[in-house]
Amino acid sequence: MAILLLVLAPFLAYLLWLVWALLAYPIPISYNLRSLWQRKVTTLTTAAAIAMVVGIFVVVLSLAQGLSVAFVSSGREDQALVLRPNARFELNSAIERDRIRILQVHPLLARDAQGPICSAEVVVVKLFPMADGSDSNVTIRGLEARGLAMRPQIRLLEGRWFRPGLSEVVVPRKMQGRFSGLELGRSIRMGGRAWEIVGVFEAGGSSFESEIFSDVNDVMQAFKRNSYSSLLARLDSAERLPEFTRAVDEDKRLKLEAVGERAYFKELTKAGDPIRVLGNLITFILTTAAVFAAMNTMFAAVASRTKEIGTLRAIGFRQREILASFQWEAIILCGAGGSLGSVLALFANGIQTGTTSFDTFSDVSFAFTITPELMLQGVAFSLVMGLLGGFLPAWRASRIPLTEAMKG
Amino acid sequence: MNGEGILPQEGAIIILRDIAKSYWRETLEIPVLHGIDLEIPRGGYYALMGPSGSGKTTLLNLIAGIDRPTGGTLQVCGFELNDLDDDELAGWRNQFVGFIFQNYNLVPVLNAFENVELPLLLSGLSRRERREKVEHALELVNLTDRMLNYPRQLSGGQEQRVAVARAIVTDPELLVADEPTGALDSKNAEEVLQLMERLNQDLGKTIVIVTHDPKAAHHARHQIHLEKGLLDKTIEVNR
Repeated sequence: MAILLLVLAPFLAYLLWLVWALLAYPIPISYNLRSLWQRKVTTLTTAAAIAMVVGIFVVVLSLAQGLSVAFVSSGREDQALVLRPNARFELNSAIERDRIRILQVHPLLARDAQGPICSAEVVVVKLFPMADGSDSNVTIRGLEARGLAMRPQIRLLEGRWFRPGLSEVVVPRKMQGRFSGLELGRSIRMGGRAWEIVGVFEAGGSSFESEIFSDVNDVMQAFKRNSYSSLLARLDSAERLPEFTRAVDEDKRLKLEAVGERAYFKELTKAGDPIRVLGNLITFILTTAAVFAAMNTMFAAVASRTKEIGTLRAIGFRQREILASFQWEAIILCGAGGSLGSVLALFANGIQTGTTSFDTFSDVSFAFTITPELMLQGVAFSLVMGLLGGFLPAWRASRIPLTEAMKG
Repeated sequence: MNGEGILPQEGAIIILRDIAKSYWRETLEIPVLHGIDLEIPRGGYYALMGPSGSGKTTLLNLIAGIDRPTGGTLQVCGFELNDLDDDELAGWRNQFVGFIFQNYNLVPVLNAFENVELPLLLSGLSRRERREKVEHALELVNLTDRMLNYPRQLSGGQEQRVAVARAIVTDPELLVADEPTGALDSKNAEEVLQLMERLNQDLGKTIVIVTHDPKAAHHARHQIHLEKGLLDKTIEVNR
């Protein structure tokens, strides 16, 4: 941290000085704006290159954001997931029926008229054909009727919910676009039998929109499972969560562990790490190119305005005023490109896509989610590009010997 | 700028003692000026003349604080220029020197008003005060009707008059001009020269110009001839 601060300190000091220079120094910013406009073609070409890079940057961030939204909106603060110790994910977990029965009457569970609020569930994956002709694993979740009520973000759009014992499934709307044969009324084959699609649901952008739901006992039978994967438990309040997790951890009969539902899904957001790494790599390469494009444009600007710089210096403007002026010109150029790129990225907002989670080996559907914060990050990113790309040309402009500058 | 080193109002405004200037090309020293001693009185109008390479532009640059000598001392407008650092020298130029260039050197993206206003941006004056001074300067060069025109919308003569307005807007004591008529036709050149003469006679500005043009030199009251970096002779112009 200290080293990072040491590295960033000169950068931040320079940034603060530039802001101060903008207010205190006399070369008007309109001079830079008009100079940029005078070289329309070069300015627009560079701004377009910056816009492209920033657009890609924002879209890449929006992928990670979409994935994060999918997982984070899946969990509730007052719910816990009970798993086998060290399982980390439901797919790796197994809980025998007798232990589930102990959990279902746990005194810390919230209760309503029907009794304790919890749902014993099983999770399996099954290969499904995608609309583009490839295949991808899909998570099949078997759950109790309570499990649906415990996920308030889930809403039935068409048809009805599945009934136990009838081999029925409900599918998310998002998956219908990406996988073939998931239309309402059709049958899908899995676990050696045909399952009728009786309903279509949405789940508010959460990760449940990547799962097919059915009755827990039907799924266990079809996939020959003797144990559940997890138990979803509702507590009276979020404050009871530490008490519940401690109680489960310390119960010698259970030998299970409990984790907050929200924390569990947060862990799953790591599925976005490969996207983020790849995106960062692409962005880094493009950014380097964009910084050089900005640098090239500004060097050309300095070269074509050498005499102008000489005149300004001759009539009394100081070197640091020239430095600040040209640095701001580069920042404005890149900022304009960055703003355009951020706006263009909006076209990707809401587009559905998916990835394979390396934790669950199954498909995760999510949407590009472009937020105002991401757009601001894009603009800030472009300003940093302006700062980096503009520094050397601005420094050069301020350091041209006066007698040379006046010759042009 | 502080007032240290300010000379009395009377006497020489430019005092050069044993001024030398050399340029370096790698390890090769190229001497341009040698042992120049010169005094120019306040309110004088001097033309620096001589063949190409004689060092006249170099001498003008030294007087105007654009360049620094490699030897000797120079006092201009009461300041020992060798004692000023780059920032102080920039402030000094802004306050005491007006520049007129051969190719006008107007900023193409600024209109005539804004070009003339440029030196005043460093003065700390209010917008209203600046406006008054700019309008007055443009009035002196008879261009008030063109103040919103950009350089590309002006003739060469008009551009040079805007440059003159920019040079005088801070009311400097010294005007320096490097071939001020070099890019103008004879009619416009004559207009600019008459304007400079008026600035010298009516406003008492000290003017030093570099020129090859005998007509331009004839408007000055003294001609200083340089030859191979040495002061050759000073001639008083009889009119």
